[in-house]
Amino acid sequence: MLYLKPRIDPLTQSVLDDGALLGRLVDGLGSPLNVVLPQRVGANVAAFRDAYRRHRLNGRIYFAHKANRSSALLRQFAATEAGVDVASVGELQHALGAGFTPDRIMATGPKTREYLWLAARTGVIVNADSPAELSELASLVAAFRLPRARAMVRLSRFQSSGVRVQSRRSRFGFPAGSLTETLDLLGKHGDHVELVGVAYHLDTVELREKAVALEGCLAALDECRARGLRPWSLDIGGGFGVNYLADAGEWERYTSELAQAVLGNRPPMTWGGHGYGLRAESGTLRGSLALYPAHRPVAGADYLDKLLGTDAPDRRRPLGELLLDHMYDLDVEPGRALLDQCGLTVARVLEVRDDGDDVLVRLDCNARDVSLEEHGVLMDPVLVPRLRVPKEEPAADRSEGVFLLGNLCLESDLITRRKVHLPRRPQAGDLLAFVNTAGYLMDFTATDALLAPQGRKVAIHRTGDGAWSWHLDENYWPIHSQPEVS
Amino acid sequence: MKYDDITEAIGNTPLVRIDPEVHGLRNIDLYAKLELLNPFGSVKDRAAWSMLRPMLGDAVRRGDTVVELSSGNTAKALALLAGMHGLPFRSVTNRMKIPEIKDLLLLLGAEIDELPGRSECLDPADTDDPLTRMYRTLQTSGEGYVHTDQYFNERNADAHFSGTGQEIVKDLDGRAPDYFVACVGTAGSSTGVARALRAHGADTTIVGLVAAKSDFIPGIRTIDEVHEVGLFDPGTYDAIETISADEAIDGLLTLVRRCGTLSGPTGGGAYQGAVRYLRTIDGSLTSRKSAVFIVCDRVESYLSYLRERRPALFGRPARANSLGSLSAGEIAGAPSVTVGASLEGCLVVDLRSSYAYQALHIDGSINIGEDVFETMLSAGLPFSRRQPVVLVCPVGEKSAAFAALLTRMGHPDARSLAGGIIAWRDAGAPLVRD
Ligand SMILES: Cc1ncc(COP(=O)(O)O)c(C=O)c1O
Ligand SMILES: Cc1ncc(COP(=O)(O)O)c(C=O)c1O
Repeated sequence: MLYLKPRIDPLTQSVLDDGALLGRLVDGLGSPLNVVLPQRVGANVAAFRDAYRRHRLNGRIYFAHKANRSSALLRQFAATEAGVDVASVGELQHALGAGFTPDRIMATGPKTREYLWLAARTGVIVNADSPAELSELASLVAAFRLPRARAMVRLSRFQSSGVRVQSRRSRFGFPAGSLTETLDLLGKHGDHVELVGVAYHLDTVELREKAVALEGCLAALDECRARGLRPWSLDIGGGFGVNYLADAGEWERYTSELAQAVLGNRPPMTWGGHGYGLRAESGTLRGSLALYPAHRPVAGADYLDKLLGTDAPDRRRPLGELLLDHMYDLDVEPGRALLDQCGLTVARVLEVRDDGDDVLVRLDCNARDVSLEEHGVLMDPVLVPRLRVPKEEPAADRSEGVFLLGNLCLESDLITRRKVHLPRRPQAGDLLAFVNTAGYLMDFTATDALLAPQGRKVAIHRTGDGAWSWHLDENYWPIHSQPEVS
Repeated sequence: MKYDDITEAIGNTPLVRIDPEVHGLRNIDLYAKLELLNPFGSVKDRAAWSMLRPMLGDAVRRGDTVVELSSGNTAKALALLAGMHGLPFRSVTNRMKIPEIKDLLLLLGAEIDELPGRSECLDPADTDDPLTRMYRTLQTSGEGYVHTDQYFNERNADAHFSGTGQEIVKDLDGRAPDYFVACVGTAGSSTGVARALRAHGADTTIVGLVAAKSDFIPGIRTIDEVHEVGLFDPGTYDAIETISADEAIDGLLTLVRRCGTLSGPTGGGAYQGAVRYLRTIDGSLTSRKSAVFIVCDRVESYLSYLRERRPALFGRPARANSLGSLSAGEIAGAPSVTVGASLEGCLVVDLRSSYAYQALHIDGSINIGEDVFETMLSAGLPFSRRQPVVLVCPVGEKSAAFAALLTRMGHPDARSLAGGIIAWRDAGAPLVRD
């Protein structure tokens, strides 16, 4: 059977094992229900800090807020040493309200005047995306007599020498090739803006591209020094990734079989023969898997460690050593990786029916509540039984798997476009738990289209005596005494 | 032999019998087709020349750039052929993982484009793989390029149909071998040879070898990737088997150490895969059989690949006066000087990289990067024992190790700057540029 079993840490597992807890919460608060686990946050920050230590580096770990709207998680991050990367005026207000002092906040993303004003007024670092944004920041500071703003410039379009390492085109950032103009502009606004560092964020899993960008930023910082500027930070953005699956073999087998299904060599595994980006042209496989690499042997803090150990393509020494040699601080903005194992989404099974050879399972949630498909993350949900399973029911009666449908009146509302294999046929009333959804998969795309309510969010934590305690997300503050989970 | 043109030296490679003592098969004669002896060093010389030749006239007239998706041998052959005709060559790839090959291609004058990796935040509308996009740009731009298209170009397989395959039959006195084993990259060589053997009326068993899914053997495809190859037709092969990088290296070692054949990893894989396959049959044979495998290219380009996977093969004796020989206790006990103490009269050696030194350093210090410094020390002290020395590194760890080493070498006054240059900066002490 083509399982894609998720990786589940002990904290999440203990939530699942207590089936009654999730049942009661869904009964009271409705389906779908988003459950966040603030207790996991500290360990994720600590793992990144360990990677810093291994390379003797200093600098700040900014949690990229965009990955989840939860107040509980944000406040828990505020209770650690982490900073926060905000990408809108709303996120900035949220961060300030969650307890982050301005020295721990980095403002990224495309910026409105209001966003720039609040950032400059409070004194957070403005990570500038374009020359126009930098000039607007300077003019706001001048016009409203604000304190000199601290800024970083985000660079993009790095040039590699020798082998041309290409990257996907980005909408963001100052072209690295026009650094002289950028520094001229900073010079012009020197009274109003202080350059504290340079930054990049690349949307790629490829280390080589990041190595080119990191080395490009090192060269840019050297150039700043030659100009008499004294920035000390290099911000390498996010994109450290999460390993979603427990078993590499399952992922390999699944993707191999998917290719065979697209080639017509085995029965389809997906709704309408969907190929996830693959297609067959006269017996040859074309296209590429438009999927998140769900099994990643090196992800999160380990990925950072590996990047820092990678040789700079030109200077041919490890990037971490070069940063240290130059005395630069390293800043990171992980979103997904810092939310690894920090939450799950639970939905109730409404109906199970046979449709020809297929089994269709309708859930009380929609594809935007659990946006596995939208984000290309393939991982199986966990079946949490509500009803007592009759003894005589065989353990795995339907080996062909089931399709999970959403609750919207919309053909495209499929929670999974692939057949999902469950340990047994679900029944109406059962719960399905989608684990590890806190990073982007929980509320990033949730809407109330068709007046279907968005899922509620609760923060649960284990108290000293092992019992679970829960709060509505907005009511959770990190002030209870809690055993930290490592 | 005298030639007017190096391309005449392509093909007609030797077929060499492997000593049965080495492979241990009792009823099968095993032969290696030594494609590594082509003039540019690999089996791809034939395909490259076969594909490029018909395009050359127009390309030379228009001054086109030759473009191919290749991570190695095809690129190498095309770069040389293009260069002979005054044409630029560009290799587009997302698979080039071997630094020596990159450097070699740059030396030959090739341009190399590496395609971007998968995006971290999925854009579901973006289902084109970079290669498909590359194909499309080549097709629509039309101008200024000729694309040899090795994964789809029939002339790739034809080169082996009319060359490699016929040569094997001729060298076996007109008899096709009973077994033929080859690694599959573009499938050009295995497809072409298989066609030639079958055209000869033989029912040779054809075994194609690919890498396991999560493995990497430079030059060939994995079991999944092979389906992306236009020339690949599963019907060509009687068996498709996977071969691991480990087995390929074992085979390579047998060929280089016992057979006088400087084979690269895929030649080693083909040898190992052939022996593995044939061993299952050998015992039950009642008549003598023959088998041929291809040695695709040479070992020299893969030293870093081998070093990474089998560091023990490169074991070197420890150097004298190396940092590695220091105990934790010696390092902890290294003499140090704290930030703020006078450095008057001291030689200050900054061990950081030269870029970092040039950006900012302690006034009056000299820069000797740690690698160079360690090499210098292996021969003895590079300064007088009467000269007090202070060593500087980022956080004071490397400098402590060097101070311990200098002390052990008999230097009476070699100290480490405690906390390194970062502590120096944090204390507000001056840093300069020259
Ligand atoms: C500027 C910036 N920083 C950080 C992130 C977080 O990325 P991730 O969640 O992949 O770590 C993003 C994501 O889009 C981003 O755009
Ligand atoms: C080293 C090496 N071995 C084997 C092969 C496979 O040959 P073919 O492309 O003809 O299948 C190649 C081809 O790219 C190669 O470079």
